[in-house]
Amino acid sequence: MASRELISYDKGVAVKVLKWASPIFLTFYLVWSLLPLFIMLVASLKDLLDAFSVPKPGDWAGVTIFFDFSPTLTHYVALFTENGFGTYLFNSLVASIGSAVIAVTFGSMCAYSLSRSEFRGKKDLLFWIISTRMAPIVAVIVPLYAIFRSVDLVGTLPGLILAFTTFNLPFAIWMLKGFFDGVPYAIEEAAQVDGQNRFQAFVTILPLVAPGIGAFVILCILFAWNDFLFATIIGSGGAKTLPAATKELVQPQNIDWGKIMAAGIVTTAPMIPLGLLVRRYLVAGLTMGAVKE
Amino acid sequence: MVAVSFNNVWKDYGGGAIAVKDLNMEIKDGEFVSLLGPSGCGKSTSLRMLAGLEHISSGEIVFGDKVVNDLPPKDRDIAMVFENYALYPHKTIFDNIANPLKQSKVAAAEIERRVTEAAKLLEIDQLLERRPQELSGGQKQRTAIGRAIVRQPQVFLFDEPIAHLDAKLRARMRGELKHLQFTLGVTTIYVTHDQLEALTMADRIAVMNDGVLQQFGTPQEVYDNPANSWVATFVGEPQMSLMEMQVTSLEGETALAFGSYTIEVDPKNSARLRAAGKKDLLVGVRPDKATVSLDESLGSIRGEVYSRQLLGADVLVEVEIGKSRVRAKANTSFAGTVGTPCYLNFGSEDLYFFDAKDGQVIPQ
Ligand SMILES: Nc1ncnc2c1ncn2[C@@H]1O[C@H](COP(=O)(O)OP(=O)(O)OP(=O)(O)O)[C@@H](O)[C@H]1O
Ligand SMILES: [Mg+2]
Repeated sequence: MASRELISYDKGVAVKVLKWASPIFLTFYLVWSLLPLFIMLVASLKDLLDAFSVPKPGDWAGVTIFFDFSPTLTHYVALFTENGFGTYLFNSLVASIGSAVIAVTFGSMCAYSLSRSEFRGKKDLLFWIISTRMAPIVAVIVPLYAIFRSVDLVGTLPGLILAFTTFNLPFAIWMLKGFFDGVPYAIEEAAQVDGQNRFQAFVTILPLVAPGIGAFVILCILFAWNDFLFATIIGSGGAKTLPAATKELVQPQNIDWGKIMAAGIVTTAPMIPLGLLVRRYLVAGLTMGAVKE
Repeated sequence: MVAVSFNNVWKDYGGGAIAVKDLNMEIKDGEFVSLLGPSGCGKSTSLRMLAGLEHISSGEIVFGDKVVNDLPPKDRDIAMVFENYALYPHKTIFDNIANPLKQSKVAAAEIERRVTEAAKLLEIDQLLERRPQELSGGQKQRTAIGRAIVRQPQVFLFDEPIAHLDAKLRARMRGELKHLQFTLGVTTIYVTHDQLEALTMADRIAVMNDGVLQQFGTPQEVYDNPANSWVATFVGEPQMSLMEMQVTSLEGETALAFGSYTIEVDPKNSARLRAAGKKDLLVGVRPDKATVSLDESLGSIRGEVYSRQLLGADVLVEVEIGKSRVRAKANTSFAGTVGTPCYLNFGSEDLYFFDAKDGQVIPQ
């Protein structure tokens, strides 16, 4: 193992410029990505009157108006009492977690076999698997809808889980295959010599790919959670998820900004800790096995 | 425990890589057999086929009276030390060694006892709580040995198990492994490219080259009666030298022509050469049977010192004679340096004779 001590070398001009430029860039980037979230949070806590009080153009001192309001939770309460967001939150959770678990369970088994076996046409099979992910979903949504309707899966949670799995599974197979490729087969051979069968040997090496699998459960949840197209078309009716329900708050005669902002927060909030978690896992998972001992 | 045999075993990896060609070998119950050969000759492949880790392209492998071709590794009752250790990176050293015992549902107290015992023997008992990546190469290798010897299988398969230990520990491990194998009476196949290991430990040695079994015999047989010129030069340290000679006659007796010299042959060997009726020979002589001196003597062959290496107690002198180079051991007082003219002597009864065409030994 190499030591982790940092060695510093003479830096060129480019490095010095970068040293100044990067904080500036990062500041802009932070404002760019966090400001909308912040506005959304603040707006969700304002009542209608406060929400539309804006300073005159050019009046920079008037910015304080934005923060001059008495916070209210009415929009949130209304979302859950009048609009049934409790159900949609539940649907979102079940559909995304369900699809993630299925995708990772089958994905890891499939990835394992693809990683460990050699057969003719393996490359083509792998390409076909990923091509189902690369194809634009709009291209398949109509036939998929027809199929789902003919087996009564439209508007049901199992239907939605299945729909999400169609895009989560190929992705899981590909990424998990990479993790399995990083585990030397010799370890399983040792396990077999020690008296285990192939499946037990597979279970033996699972802890080695656990960071990868953990990261993928979370990524699949994120993908499914954020999905809009399948959610509106396959899930419409009985299995409405948060993004689909939020969109329905936009009515032709009345756009309820307060509620929409609150729904945005309800949709985003649970995913933030997951995003932070996956970051740690992904780094561990992706670099695992990069260095041969 | 069990006898093991290879019957016409081939291993073809595809793409023209034939790793093992028509291997036939019968290993007796409880025997210690060493597979010896240069890198890439198919030793590991043969061992892995025994373990059930490699598909057998054709032929059969038999344990006792059972053909095991299609038996998975776990049903073969073998213990193996892998060339690359193959430890479980996420388990402690204790759990690594204990794994085979856990698989066969040995009681926890018994596991504890046996693992500690094996670890003591291998001098890794203070490392049991660590994980493989916190170990040195030699310590990992000893852990791998521990995982194999912690139980008593039908067959031990060792793939260069002590290649990464220091010389002192290696010498001790040779003794320990040999002792263990003898007391347990487990049939053992031991892969090595170190001939000293093979010669000192094995009951019989199987010498392989390029996927082909060259000779299978006791260390003494392989050393004294090599089956062909390849085995002759591979086994024995320092290496045997080969010289191109022709059979001629000198005053009606069989003799050897070596460059401008004619060498007399003792009666036993001359009868042997006559019976074989070959003309072109490769004649071998081991360095310790050849002498080199700066003074000419009766029957000596003139050459030049090509190189001189100190071996400790004596020096190894390489003598260039025409296009041949012959190695001879000499006393450290030997004064020749590179380019010095010198005289080589050997007795014809110490020579090895091979057919120059196919390298096969001239029958006794
Ligand atoms: N999986 C494989 N696919 C193709 N060829 C292989 C494979 N494994 C081994 N070979 C080839 O088979 C031959 C024998 O390999 P093997 O590993 O048995 O050698 P070895 O005698 O154990 O050598 P070493 O002493 O270096 O370990 C080599 O030429 C090698 O290149
Ligand atoms: Mg090998």
